[in-house]
Amino acid sequence: MVVPVDPTDADTDGAAGAGRARARPAADAELHGRLVYGDASALAETYAVYGGLVRRIALRVTRSPAAVEDIAQEVFTELWSRPYAFDARRGSLRTWLSMLAHRRAVDWVRHEARHRKAAPADDSALHTLPDAAPGPVETVMDRERSLLLHSALAELPPSQREVVHLAYFAGRTYREAAAELGIPEGTAKTRLRTALRRLAETLADPPEPSLGRGA
Amino acid sequence: MSTHDGQDDADDHDELRDLVAAAAFDAVTPAERERVTRHLGGCAECAAETDRLRETVRLLDVPPGEGTGPHGPAPWWSTEESGSEDVVAGLFHGRRHTWRTSRPQATEVAAHAAVYAGAVAALTALLPHVDVRWGYDRWKVPVVHDWNVQATLAHLLAADEQLAVELGVEPRVPPSPAVRDETWEAYWNRRTADTIRHELAHAAELTRHAWQSQTAALLATPEAHDAERAARPVELMGMRLPVADHFAVRAFETWIHTDDIGRALGLHVPPPPAPHLERLVRLAAGVLGQALGPGTPPVRFTVTGIGVWTLGAPAVPVRAELALEPVDFCFLAGGRRAPDTVPHRATGDAAAVRDVLERTASLAWL
Repeated sequence: MVVPVDPTDADTDGAAGAGRARARPAADAELHGRLVYGDASALAETYAVYGGLVRRIALRVTRSPAAVEDIAQEVFTELWSRPYAFDARRGSLRTWLSMLAHRRAVDWVRHEARHRKAAPADDSALHTLPDAAPGPVETVMDRERSLLLHSALAELPPSQREVVHLAYFAGRTYREAAAELGIPEGTAKTRLRTALRRLAETLADPPEPSLGRGA
Repeated sequence: MSTHDGQDDADDHDELRDLVAAAAFDAVTPAERERVTRHLGGCAECAAETDRLRETVRLLDVPPGEGTGPHGPAPWWSTEESGSEDVVAGLFHGRRHTWRTSRPQATEVAAHAAVYAGAVAALTALLPHVDVRWGYDRWKVPVVHDWNVQATLAHLLAADEQLAVELGVEPRVPPSPAVRDETWEAYWNRRTADTIRHELAHAAELTRHAWQSQTAALLATPEAHDAERAARPVELMGMRLPVADHFAVRAFETWIHTDDIGRALGLHVPPPPAPHLERLVRLAAGVLGQALGPGTPPVRFTVTGIGVWTLGAPAVPVRAELALEPVDFCFLAGGRRAPDTVPHRATGDAAAVRDVLERTASLAWL
């Protein structure tokens, strides 16, 4: 009955084969059951398996080691304190945690950006600027456009978002992502394209809040 | 040959349009990448699309945050892993704000009571979902019988009370007046009705508090921590069992009603973890064996992954074989599956099989 957690799966950088992905739903259900029934060791095990992925996403989006700690703690606290928010029959813990980490990281960056705009540019702030010349204008613009894209990514329909997360953050091929999600390979490929085209459109158009076109 | 090539190109174009996006995410095999590259050389449309999508991925790669590290922004790939115990310790010991929104672990008790502590933790985690949503008080959502969420919790309060009182815990609800020569069933029906009426007369939050404080008191009794003290047999609700088994009965009912409430709220409640489920199955199988007695035809009874029993007369050969999955068996015993529709595998005497299924369903624990 007990499906042991595969510790080798902690490596989420992309070398994983589709065969390994098949073992996860049972392991996810087992971990999730123990979380629901108040077993804190299951939280430590979940962190051992997925903590690296959550931290990588947080660092990739925020570039702030301090934010990484906060976001990882927020994500795993949410899993622990509201375990019924995850349903092992509807998706994998990997994509659920990955999407939650990304959303929290984007929120963090948005909050920082608002904070910077709101803060008056006083002398002490100027003095703390690094000696090196600030990056070229393109860098600042790129960063703004990147935030726009990541915000749009966080708002994609879940069916598209989970494929993007597996392909982009977890380094899966679209075939591996399809196997992990239990969907046809062609569907995974089409969802990736629909998602990426929609992200590309947000660069051309102002962001639109209405969503709903499925893949 | 050129016509043939042209046909290939058209097929390629349709198929490769999706592959182009996957390639921009670097989510293709080297062979597929090679195909995409070959196609782009001869297809201006896909080449333009590729430029646009690659630029999008390049911008996704730009960290939107500026970074606040002491030595400037850290590259995203420099993952200094902190030990899992750091984060977990932070969750439970109040680093920053997390402890306030978090929830306690299952109470640490002896093995025989852990199954009840787990069931209590699972229901405790579900109750925050019983909130006011879209102006509708979800405590009033119908659950089972004619009970809403609050009444279901009040029913559990009354059922737990039987064991709690036996173990010296003060009742949370004023006593029901005594009636001479009353059967335990009559008393129990009266007591659960009185408790539900009492609880529905006040705020649901108070019912939650009463249930939570009584479960905590039960899990704090010496019998929850000492297997020897829990070996004492006690008759409750018509069943004479060791206190340890009564804890399992309480866990069983708590789980079944947690599942009821979860269904009412549209949330999936996973079954108890394997060791807990095994304990519940073994208990139910034992009770079932006693209920069938030696006068019924022998049936070889399997609960997948947990155990095999011979029910009824201790004779060989058996008249039938019957196998159920653990959760199906528990739901059947808990009155949440019907004997004629519960998934099972059976061979041999159909009447003997039906007898076992019907007797399981009529254990009437809940």
